[in-house]
Amino acid sequence: MPIPSVAANAYANVARLGAAGLGTAGTAAGVAGAADASSFGALLKDALGQVTEAGHRSDAQTRAMVAGKADMVDVVTAVSETEAAVETMVAVRNKVIEAYQSIMSMPI
Amino acid sequence: MDLMKSIAIAASGLRAQAGRMQVISENIANADSTATQPGGDPYRRKIVTFQSEMDRALGARLVALGTVRPDASDFQVKSEPGHPAADANGNVKYPNVNPLIEMADFRDAQRSYSANVNVINATRAMIARTLDILKS
Repeated sequence: MPIPSVAANAYANVARLGAAGLGTAGTAAGVAGAADASSFGALLKDALGQVTEAGHRSDAQTRAMVAGKADMVDVVTAVSETEAAVETMVAVRNKVIEAYQSIMSMPI
Repeated sequence: MDLMKSIAIAASGLRAQAGRMQVISENIANADSTATQPGGDPYRRKIVTFQSEMDRALGARLVALGTVRPDASDFQVKSEPGHPAADANGNVKYPNVNPLIEMADFRDAQRSYSANVNVINATRAMIARTLDILKS
């Protein structure tokens, strides 16, 4: 099941991101910005990698189906798993970008 | 996540009902298959069994097709002396398939399949609704 791990990791990454932001809040703004950028990139990369993996699985199932080797039920469940993974990833990404933008638009 | 688990469980139900449908279609298709030699036995009706099996990775009980057993009831005997499969008395054994029973069985399989599809749809809707919390 890739979904729980994708979602759990994404949430854990967001939590870590938040914790890192809080930890560096007292330091210079430039340093905090740099730390945020790197962990945000890592978060996106992690989540994307796992979603891509789920996508590959559903691709493989679809190819096997076309070749007449897979069950249609397996294809449908694999594709719906990928769909849920992608939607979770996109929702988390939107939320994080929203938070990032509200921080960036903060008057200093 | 439990929601993905229930999709996997419902998918096992879909697979089991599809297997049952295969056996029912075999019975219907062979409803008139007689023996090839005189006095021989015709096609014998098959009965599917379902069994609940534990999936350790998922931690849930899935459904699977059990062994497909032959129906032990008697064949229908008709008097057709000219038939190639007729015995010395002119009787031909026809399969113990009753099309009405097969129809009822396949309606049952159809309804069970739809029920499992509904479970999958409801679960997907629940996942989407949960994600809506994050989007709002």
